[in-house]
Amino acid sequence: MAEVVLATRDLSVQFGGLKAVNRVNLTVERGDLVGLIGPNGAGKTTIFNLITGAIAPTEGEIIFRGRQIGGKRPDILARMGISRTFQNIRLFPQMSVLENVAIGLHSVPKYTIIEALFRLPRAVRSDREVNRKALEHLARVGLADHWADKAGSLPYGLQRKLEIARALAASPELLLLDEPAAGMNNEECQGFITFLRQLHRETGLTIVLIEHHMNVVMDLCPRIYVLNLGEVLAEGDPREIQNNPSVIKAYLGERRRTASA
Amino acid sequence: MVLFLQQLVTGLSIGGIYALLAVGYALIFSIFDFTNWAFGSLMMVGAYGGFFAISAFHLPFWWGIVFALIVAAAVSLFVEVVAYRPLRHRGAPRLFLMVTAMGVDIFLTNLAVVLIGGSFRPFPGITKQGVVHVGAVNVGQLDLIAAIISLLALLALWYFIERTKPGLAIRAASYDTTTAGLMGINVSSVAFIVFGISGAISAVAGTFFGIKYAVWPYLGSISNKAFISSVIGGLGSLPGAVLGGIVLGVLETMVSGYISSTYRDLFAFSLLVLTLLFMPYGLMGKKVQEKI
Amino acid sequence: MGYLNSILILGGINVLAVVGVAVLTGYTGLFTIGHAAFMAIGGYTAAVLVVKLGQPFWLALVAAGVAAALSSLIVGYPTLRSKLKGDYFAIAMLGFGEAVRLILNNTYAVINGAIGFTGIPLLTTSTLVIILDIGGIILIRNFVISQYGKNCVAIREQEVAAELMGIDVMKTKLWALGISAFYAGVAGGLFAFYMTYLAPSMFTSSKSSDLLAGVVFGGINSITGPVLAAFFLVVLPELLRFLFVWRLVIYGLLFVIIMIFRPQGLLGYRDINWASLKQLLARFNGGRRPSQAVTREGGR
Repeated sequence: MAEVVLATRDLSVQFGGLKAVNRVNLTVERGDLVGLIGPNGAGKTTIFNLITGAIAPTEGEIIFRGRQIGGKRPDILARMGISRTFQNIRLFPQMSVLENVAIGLHSVPKYTIIEALFRLPRAVRSDREVNRKALEHLARVGLADHWADKAGSLPYGLQRKLEIARALAASPELLLLDEPAAGMNNEECQGFITFLRQLHRETGLTIVLIEHHMNVVMDLCPRIYVLNLGEVLAEGDPREIQNNPSVIKAYLGERRRTASA
Repeated sequence: MVLFLQQLVTGLSIGGIYALLAVGYALIFSIFDFTNWAFGSLMMVGAYGGFFAISAFHLPFWWGIVFALIVAAAVSLFVEVVAYRPLRHRGAPRLFLMVTAMGVDIFLTNLAVVLIGGSFRPFPGITKQGVVHVGAVNVGQLDLIAAIISLLALLALWYFIERTKPGLAIRAASYDTTTAGLMGINVSSVAFIVFGISGAISAVAGTFFGIKYAVWPYLGSISNKAFISSVIGGLGSLPGAVLGGIVLGVLETMVSGYISSTYRDLFAFSLLVLTLLFMPYGLMGKKVQEKI
Repeated sequence: MGYLNSILILGGINVLAVVGVAVLTGYTGLFTIGHAAFMAIGGYTAAVLVVKLGQPFWLALVAAGVAAALSSLIVGYPTLRSKLKGDYFAIAMLGFGEAVRLILNNTYAVINGAIGFTGIPLLTTSTLVIILDIGGIILIRNFVISQYGKNCVAIREQEVAAELMGIDVMKTKLWALGISAFYAGVAGGLFAFYMTYLAPSMFTSSKSSDLLAGVVFGGINSITGPVLAAFFLVVLPELLRFLFVWRLVIYGLLFVIIMIFRPQGLLGYRDINWASLKQLLARFNGGRRPSQAVTREGGR
């Protein structure tokens, strides 16, 4: 019986008069690769924001590895093992690629401030170790050669990869990817599918993926939730979802467009 | 009891000016998420504008005031177009905008120090005010006029923002400038209006303080009260600015009257700290969600 | 000789204070106005300890830094919560600066209020200033290349992402503020024992603007830049007298011009260090050296 890493129970958040997320129930077990799809404004990113503590729910619960986490501070949740990437890339542009990834490793500094100020041996060793590990994470996503480049100077596709590498460096229990393939063409999508599949296989990480590229989601995710207007519309495997009439209806225009792409 | 009423009335009049100032500040903040640190020096510019209009150009008093409004508004617009807008369009980080605004403030203030001199000058064209008796309470003539003018100005502003088309554009832009722009609102025009109004407001307050105390280059330091009022009322909220200004004015005057006038400014700071500790989003807190 | 000595001392004191501001504003992105208040607190603390309580000078300097750092909590704690924008901090710093000056101006017991605290012995020497400068710069450099420093930069660059990556934003900001206040406090102490006289009027907004100028001109994300700028900002107005009168007008104008045309200041986002010099040389000799990150610390 696989561990339930993440579960939401009647999760809701209300902004003024608008219920952006309405009684959403999700379950994610260890090692799952779950897709979260839905038209724009369906509340997918809002759910990510709720899980990562950026906003607090107005109703319902979020349970992460058996603990209630609704409304907790984002940095505490990150340290508990939740990592994410962002719809609009949020790298640290003036820092180098290596430094970006390293943040994932030392968001809680591994030595005291005195050791930092006087550059005591423990600090020096720790920095070296962090850099080594960061380089490993970079190598895993194929960015090792760019370690010294400024993150902001990377081409778009590589920036997305860097964001993933940074999220991975934190050794998360749960990885939330927010439209990681956004802006990619068909070829790049294929590359991304292969990349993520391999990553998932190698690490066995629990991943929840928001995506608009249907082929990416259908190819990668054995289980998919469909959201519309803040509510869960359907849940199932790719074939069930694709044949679900209400899903088709919700997506009507968009589905035709991506099918011909 | 009489002392209490006295302080209350004085407090309301100074609160009115604080409220007006706070609105001038909050207007820009609510739309551009930006603290115009030059706001204080604009007050000074307005005051000196009025001063020279009356003493050097020999304009009649009220024309001098009008001149002050025009000068301050013009400088405010100039600064917006030349210094702030280019950075905003470039998507510069907040830190850069703050440094620029501070730069403008430092430039204007010290330009006045160098060119005009740091001495206090009494505002011309108006003799020391008399006192008006309202029942058992005495109100300074100036304070009374200030209260009335603030009230009128705030009402006019309220009407403008809530009931006119340009005001609607301003309200839309205060929610999200990008969306407002996409919906067809000319954000540049909104900026124009808002910086102009803000400049005019700072001139009104600047002349008031110039008359009440004196005209000198550091007159603008009172703008701190505007910032603090806005935080107390809720940063970014216009009604909050009004409420914050009045609350600060009244409480400050109470402290000044009952405890000590020297530590009036210290009280303002303490009120700020207390607000931030217990009610960081202020009395009418507008908790703006940043899009993540 | 005495003139050169005084420039060295005043320049050195400015360097110490500016380097602290560099950590707060340059590296962590927190705009500070009214930082002179920390210098005032430090100066008065040190002066009182030595003149009224007969304590040794070195202890007074440490106390000056500690007092300033502790006082920074008054401003920092309410305003550096992660959800609050930098404007709150700046407004509070402004108010704090005024409050400190108000209290100092009106406290006639012991420190003589607005009239000023006289009779402070001349204990600051150029040697002392140079030693403290060198030591201070080394410590700050260590902080900046450490994991703490990198977290500060992450906060400056993308506060939302920094927090979501696990950085305790408030604690990190408080550290940056505390360190910058400590440095300003020690600088204030050195200042008091050089001028041999202290008055609240020495710590006005002009002084705070001077400090900020060091960082704006010297550059964000750099230590060498602000150090050089801080020193020259003392030297130049001394050499060019007319400049002294106009200096703040020029600074204000330069703030705007620099932000529009070269926000990264003198040295840009780089520091002069051996690594970047080597890279520069390598480029001249053609080709980039393969990554040898494993042996190098910092990784810039």
